[in-house]
Amino acid sequence: MAGPVNGPDTAPPDGGETAPADDRDTTSAAGPPAPAGDDVVSAGGRAVRVAIVDDHPVVVEGIRSWLAAEPRLTVVATGDDPDVVLRAAPDADVVLLDLRLHGRMAVEKVTELSAAGRRVVVYSEHTDPETVLAVLDAGAVAFLAKHEGREHCVATVLAAASDRAYVPPTLAGAIVGDARPDRPALSDKEREALLLWFQSMSKASVARRMRISEHTVKQYVDRARIKYTRAGRPAATKSALLARAIEDGLIRPEEIGTYQSYAADDRPTP
Amino acid sequence: MTVDSSIAPPPGATVDPSTAPTAGAVAVAASSDRAARIAALVIAYGWHLLISLPAVLLNWSELRWPWVVGGGWLAVALAGGFAARRLLRGRALPAGPLVVGLLVVDAVVFPASGEEFLFHSANWGWGTVGWFAILFLWGRPLRELVATIAAGAVIALVAVLGQGADAADLSRYGMYVYGVAALPIALAVGAATLRTLAAERARAASASAAVTAQRLAAARAQRDRRDRLALVDATAGDVLADLAAGRADPADPAVQRRCALAAARLRRLIAESDDVPDPLLHELRASADLAERRGVAVDLVTLGTPPPVPVPVRRRLVDPLAAVLSTVDDRARLTVLASPDAVEISLVTPDRGTLEEVVPPPGDEPVEYEDVRDGEVRWTRTRWQAR
Repeated sequence: MAGPVNGPDTAPPDGGETAPADDRDTTSAAGPPAPAGDDVVSAGGRAVRVAIVDDHPVVVEGIRSWLAAEPRLTVVATGDDPDVVLRAAPDADVVLLDLRLHGRMAVEKVTELSAAGRRVVVYSEHTDPETVLAVLDAGAVAFLAKHEGREHCVATVLAAASDRAYVPPTLAGAIVGDARPDRPALSDKEREALLLWFQSMSKASVARRMRISEHTVKQYVDRARIKYTRAGRPAATKSALLARAIEDGLIRPEEIGTYQSYAADDRPTP
Repeated sequence: MTVDSSIAPPPGATVDPSTAPTAGAVAVAASSDRAARIAALVIAYGWHLLISLPAVLLNWSELRWPWVVGGGWLAVALAGGFAARRLLRGRALPAGPLVVGLLVVDAVVFPASGEEFLFHSANWGWGTVGWFAILFLWGRPLRELVATIAAGAVIALVAVLGQGADAADLSRYGMYVYGVAALPIALAVGAATLRTLAAERARAASASAAVTAQRLAAARAQRDRRDRLALVDATAGDVLADLAAGRADPADPAVQRRCALAAARLRRLIAESDDVPDPLLHELRASADLAERRGVAVDLVTLGTPPPVPVPVRRRLVDPLAAVLSTVDDRARLTVLASPDAVEISLVTPDRGTLEEVVPPPGDEPVEYEDVRDGEVRWTRTRWQAR
């Protein structure tokens, strides 16, 4: 399957142990060299460039207005064909992709874009766990349910731009509901944090229930999510997520591939 | 005779339980027919092996063309074997060729066995035609069997007359014809009668079973309705009675809460009696719907497909949440997380601190219940795990 017209041409970091995420080269053949994907969110960085792919103009406009209210984000291209949109905006940092385009599920497209290093955030009204998990396996950075609203959308796109996976409540629920025999092993605390986050949509409530800090809740949720980056086919985006997770101290390099044994350890990383 | 396929109603036909044949009737008819087939086979081969074969072998040297007589015997034995296999598997037979072949062999055996064996068992065709014709014509109209046996009698008559028969020979012929015809025809008639009777008895039994099942179902539906009515009485009935008697003031917030709770319960009970593919979600939606009409922003999220859950379990899963939902006045998040053997429902609402406890309905179903408040939110969860 061919990648996008102007995908990154650097090999992804192997096994997530080397090459921090900011080694990504998003230079396009036609455009100017793009700044590294690192720290786009931090002060002084330029705004994150977002491409929106959806076959319903009204949805495109709705998302555009959500993102417009956030100065750190700018929409650079929209349309109903991912290839056309990415040709128009080869330097887009994040692709917001409606999973159902013209009546067909675009999971294959997610695989193709993720393999080429595109940071894909899938959003859809199809929230059955099988679909959500298939999208993660395909290499999407995050899954957003259409009903989850502006706040989660902005948070997801900002996190994706810096190769961090934000976990919206629906995604948390799908991970807790994962019944596949080969699913990644989660610790009890990680499961509980995910479940309560899905049920309440409030990390503060989860923190009170679990008698831990909000920061620790976020760590449990993010660690559970990172365990899912190794499922399915390898993709450049997954390597970038793992590299950033190591950088952030969410997991240790030696833990990659040894999740089974680690699942029993409930201590959040300091 | 094969089972009459008309015993099963055509697809899409409306069935009157008093006359409808059921799988039971079909099965009984089929098994009694199978028993009759086996009986016919045993008789035909018993005759062929125990009477005809020894007679042919013992008189081998005196027969006119012993190899023709023996070959005919073997041909009929093999054709019978072929017919037997198909009969026992319930498959159709090429009746015409088999019967014609049988009569041809019969016609050949008369001259082949010789004049002195005319009324002897070594002239085996005459006595065998009837028994094997039953096999070959199984499931076909009785007249075909009678015609075949009559053809055998005509062949025998030609043979008898061809040998210049006298009056004694003709009377022996008459007795012989009666002997070889009466028993096979009696067996065929008996088998058909037995099959018809068995099918009718089974049909009557299944019709009465259907009537009983309908009566039980009606009784059960009525009992369920009575139970639901009692539940409604316990909530809505009390409030309405108090309002009607002037004991309750509609302006009192506590009375308004009782009304909301009663309405929620009523709505849920109505939803419970609906016949829908996913009753659990249907009942939750009904509760959410009621809250939304009161202006509550309800966020209902379902992940996974709930397994079929018995009504008492459903009540214990949904009732506490419906009750809490009836007291909410601004927003609520209702989530369902289902796997093939477990359901967890959670309701998160702002904690107003003024709410009375919600007691889950009594029952011994294994439903976990939790109602926690932390000053910010009230968190109500029910969980059921299949045993």
